[in-house]
Amino acid sequence: MLSPLIILAQAAAPAADAANNGAAASGITKITHDFGLSLPFFLAQVVNFCVVAVVLWKFAFKPVLATLDERNRKIADGLRYTDEMKAKLEAVQQESAASAKRAQAEATRVIEEARKSAKEFFEKQTQETAAKAGDILAKAEQAIELEKKKMLAEARTEIARLVVETTQRVLSKELSEADRSRYNESAARELTNV
Amino acid sequence: MASHAKAAQKFARQLFAMSIVDGAVSADRVAGVLEYVEKHNPANPLMVLKAYRRLVAAELAKSIAVVEHAGAINDAMLAAIAASMTKKYGRSVTATARPSPALLAGLRVQVGDDIYESSVAGQLAVLAASV
Repeated sequence: MLSPLIILAQAAAPAADAANNGAAASGITKITHDFGLSLPFFLAQVVNFCVVAVVLWKFAFKPVLATLDERNRKIADGLRYTDEMKAKLEAVQQESAASAKRAQAEATRVIEEARKSAKEFFEKQTQETAAKAGDILAKAEQAIELEKKKMLAEARTEIARLVVETTQRVLSKELSEADRSRYNESAARELTNV
Repeated sequence: MASHAKAAQKFARQLFAMSIVDGAVSADRVAGVLEYVEKHNPANPLMVLKAYRRLVAAELAKSIAVVEHAGAINDAMLAAIAASMTKKYGRSVTATARPSPALLAGLRVQVGDDIYESSVAGQLAVLAASV
């Protein structure tokens, strides 16, 4: 690629010399002559620069820029992911705090209900126990009353038996034959009227 | 076994019915029944005879008034009691005396299964039962 440029420059150099030599020195040409600015070489350098620029752009700057872009993209993604995670973490923490609060409230409610149930059960058991104790007392009183009546009846029977036995013994000793005869006559009269 | 006893009872009642004359047990008829049983030897003769004896004894007891007494009793009292029982039962009843000091005083008359009592021991027993 450089060879055509060099050939072009070599071909343009005599033409430029002829122009310089042939025409009167103007300001621009004077400046270009003083600073050694040669149009063919300048064009060649421009072309060379463009080629270098294109090559560098294609094979150096572009990959590097791509790499930089990729890196920046990754950094941005990372930062965005971090932000998202932070937001999620905060949301989860808030949710956890709310759940803990709800659980605390529920536990308090359950404890209160259990306390209330225990109190009611205790009162009910107390009443039932008192009623049972009353029943037992009433039954015991009835049993005592029955026992008392039974003992009185037995005592009465025993007393009657002793009285009869004593009377029999006394009469068997005290009754005379005359008394017995009189009683027998009375009994005979009674039995004949049956 | 129960059927044998029932049959023996029934036969004994039939024999007893044949032993009654004018409402009273006839000795001749009883002798005739015994002779018949001895001669013909019916089924279960021992059961029949025991049942027959029970029936005859119960019938004879109805004609005897057993007068239990504590203390003295005379024949006039016995005769009066016998006459009263004869009138009451509509058949001839004879009275026999039996001493019983347990009565303390008074009389107890038993005719068959009937008992008539007027004694001190009886009144004391009534008193004890009522208390």
